[in-house]
Amino acid sequence: MKRLLIVDDSKLMRDMVAACLRPLGEVAFEFAATGLEAIERLALAGFDLVILDINMPDVGGLEVIEFVRAQDRLRTLPIVVVTTRGDDASRARVIDAGASGFLAKPFAPAEILEAVRRFLPGKQPTA
Amino acid sequence: MSERVDLQEFVGAFVAEAEELAAAANLSLLEIEVANTEGTTRPRIVRDLFRALHTIKGLAGMMGVEPIVEIAHALETLIRSADRAGGLLSPKAVEIALQGIGEISERVQAVAERRQVAGIPVQLIATIASIDAEPAATRLIKKIPSGWEGRLTVGELQQLDHAHDTAIPVWAVTFMPSASNVTRGITIASVRRDLAAIGELVRVFPRALAGPGDATGVAFDMLLISKASRDVIAATAATELVDIVAVVAHSAAAVAEIAASGAPDAPGAPDRDDHVTAIGRAVVRVDLSRLDELQEQLSLLIVSRFRLEHEIAAIAKLGHDVRRLREIAQLQGRQLRDLRRAILRARMVRVADVLEPLNLLVRGLARSTRRPVQLVLEAGDTELDKAVADRLLPALIHLVRNAVDHAIEAPEERAAAGKPTTGTVRVSCVAVAANHIELVVRDDGQGIDRDAIARRAKRPIASDAELLEVLTRPGFSTREVATTTSGRGLGMDIVQRVAVAELGGELALQTTLGAGTAFTLRVPITIAVMDVFSFQCGAQCFVVPASLVEEIFEVSAETVSVGPSPPRPGAGASTNSAVSLFEHRGQAIPLLSLGALLEIDSGARARKALVIRRNGQPMAFSVDRMIGRQEVVVRSIDDPLVTVPGITGTTDLGDGRPTLMLDLNELASVYRDRVAS
Amino acid sequence: MTNDLHVTFRVGTASYAVPAAQVLHLESFENATLVPGAPAYVAGLVQVRGRVVPVVDLRVRFGLPPVERTIDNRVLVVQVGTRVAGLLVDSAREVLRIDETSFEKPPEMIERQSAGFVTAVATVTKRLFLLVDVPRLIGEELAHG
Repeated sequence: MKRLLIVDDSKLMRDMVAACLRPLGEVAFEFAATGLEAIERLALAGFDLVILDINMPDVGGLEVIEFVRAQDRLRTLPIVVVTTRGDDASRARVIDAGASGFLAKPFAPAEILEAVRRFLPGKQPTA
Repeated sequence: MSERVDLQEFVGAFVAEAEELAAAANLSLLEIEVANTEGTTRPRIVRDLFRALHTIKGLAGMMGVEPIVEIAHALETLIRSADRAGGLLSPKAVEIALQGIGEISERVQAVAERRQVAGIPVQLIATIASIDAEPAATRLIKKIPSGWEGRLTVGELQQLDHAHDTAIPVWAVTFMPSASNVTRGITIASVRRDLAAIGELVRVFPRALAGPGDATGVAFDMLLISKASRDVIAATAATELVDIVAVVAHSAAAVAEIAASGAPDAPGAPDRDDHVTAIGRAVVRVDLSRLDELQEQLSLLIVSRFRLEHEIAAIAKLGHDVRRLREIAQLQGRQLRDLRRAILRARMVRVADVLEPLNLLVRGLARSTRRPVQLVLEAGDTELDKAVADRLLPALIHLVRNAVDHAIEAPEERAAAGKPTTGTVRVSCVAVAANHIELVVRDDGQGIDRDAIARRAKRPIASDAELLEVLTRPGFSTREVATTTSGRGLGMDIVQRVAVAELGGELALQTTLGAGTAFTLRVPITIAVMDVFSFQCGAQCFVVPASLVEEIFEVSAETVSVGPSPPRPGAGASTNSAVSLFEHRGQAIPLLSLGALLEIDSGARARKALVIRRNGQPMAFSVDRMIGRQEVVVRSIDDPLVTVPGITGTTDLGDGRPTLMLDLNELASVYRDRVAS
Repeated sequence: MTNDLHVTFRVGTASYAVPAAQVLHLESFENATLVPGAPAYVAGLVQVRGRVVPVVDLRVRFGLPPVERTIDNRVLVVQVGTRVAGLLVDSAREVLRIDETSFEKPPEMIERQSAGFVTAVATVTKRLFLLVDVPRLIGEELAHG
């Protein structure tokens, strides 16, 4: 079963993202409320994809990406960034840092579903 | 299965979270106001505030509430520049930010009540945009811990500076996560929270560890300002010193002390501060949600015990000897009651701690209204359930705010009336009976002008009780009334809703013109709170415990197969059509029409299905539409007139009507019995 | 003496009385929450002053055909022991002083036909009032059975 890590400091947002991804079917969702927690989880366990918020306490999404990309084991881990800052500069900064995909909040459920399907290894047949 | 996901099911959760964030933002602003008068800054509070606004903005965007997005965005921009300027927010900026939060709250309320949401307040947003955050006066930082140069913001450097000035040690703490730590519940989140409790946590940085094949590969470096001793900090960071790579004191004085004496304690740091004492008494901080979980599991246990009794009765009917079974069931019942009491005790918090935020509130209000007001808290050692406390606090905030805003007169006026110029708001709490407490919010202000309210309400008011009834009418709670009559309209309907509808308590009022007003809230010490899904079926709403629902699906005529159901003698038509089959992940799942089962609806409009697991097998119930997921207060049903299988309690979703909570497992049994008979 | 005060109400064509001491207050009747599986005479649950209270529809309880609800409908909130319940009636207006001595045992046929709901009859200024047994109306036997 695929393991997804959803990182956002709002529980409601985490729940919404998980709800949007329900059509993926057999996927295990795990959650982290801060960048720190995300880094810890990623260091200790294997995940197939990360959905990452940018603005979080202490350690933001950009630092999480930096950390992930600095580790050999995690260099190819797909990271889909979800943020309220949807302008081009923000997008460029996020992609430069090493994110695989970028999605601006608010997003439609279908958009995030599509983004995740695109980057999830061993892609599932799209419906 | 459909690809469509409807976020409207999150409306309830959105309202709850947005209200909470707005309340947190308000408190942050009041704290910043206090810092302003002290001439200090609170960079962490400013950052918390920024994040609260940011989250509100993101969530409102997802729910499509554009005006909230706009206001939050404007405020966010203001606060960001304050953060960059070292965490200083001018009194004017604080004032306008409070206004902005108020506008957000109002719109959240509209969403909650399914009213039209007011548009974008263009004027306010223009004002917010015109305010400049003031840069903090930059000072030379005396000492930056080595390795941290260039990694800290202006605000954080000022925090260190302030620590240095006041001779509080700064510690560099490193925590390394590990699988064994995780199994003991020690994670960066827990360490961060615990360290923040014994000091001021300035900053946390992750550090990737070099070396191939390293299983963990990460360490967290933290800067902590704290008076706690080295041992306490080490223990807090990971319970075992082994996991701490380094705890280094960076304050010059502290370093000297350690070098000189070899003793690990920081200089002049009173070791026996509150937190240390707490550790000494072996106090464990537990997240409330974990206690909720425990209690929810207990409720499920109680429900399954009822089923056990049911089955024992059925066996007895067949003529078997069930005395031993009964004895065991009775013993189990007593044990469950004891367990319930034990969990309740664990949920208790001191009322004095609950009331603490009111101090800050009154300080802020006294400043903004320019009226000297003192707050007196008298809670003694009374305790109450954290879940009650969380619901009660907003009501108390309303009452105290109203008292300061509208009841306490200007100093000159008070002097003229022969009162002390400083007004007093007194919040007292006493335990009454075994399971209720009484909270009284009393002010020595001008009292409520009953005649003025009566004119306004266009009806005679003969008593305090009638006055309260008028004040708590939703339509009456307008700002206009509150200010023109110096009455207490503002938000009184909310106070009433919390005290009476949500908590099942009572609200009373006693006022004397010229002498003051007292509001008395009598509430139960504990309530049962549950995380539920709410949905519509037929003409009514229902809720079910969220922990029981495995999944929620869309259903349609194409995905559902109605099997043969030849007429059976004695069975009603509704039982025949209540069940069908549908395919999910290669498995055929029985689908029961909840409407048909309850005999309230044909089930023809059912579009969603809730999947539960019964005896290990999935089973689905179709309903018309999902409404949301929320935490509600559940009251048990105890009147024999309405004690029926499958209905376990009622709750108020905010519409002032009881909503039934269902036990889907029991309903499935009812259905089975009905078909079998 | 205050215990000869009675709240009077109408259901169908008859007028009834209950001792005022048993009535907490009168409420207008809006929507009740239906309780599937409850007896047919239970109109549902309503929230009255913060309390969740079951309401007994006296038309159904008395075996009368249902009629459209009107704004005259009232709920008498009554208390029996620790139980609080509502009685849905067609209309309720007056509190009357009915002297205990003016109550008489109802004719046996009426008593039997009413399933014991009517315990006495009284005539006040040529109007007939049937005194009802409140505990029985709200199914007090269910509570102990």
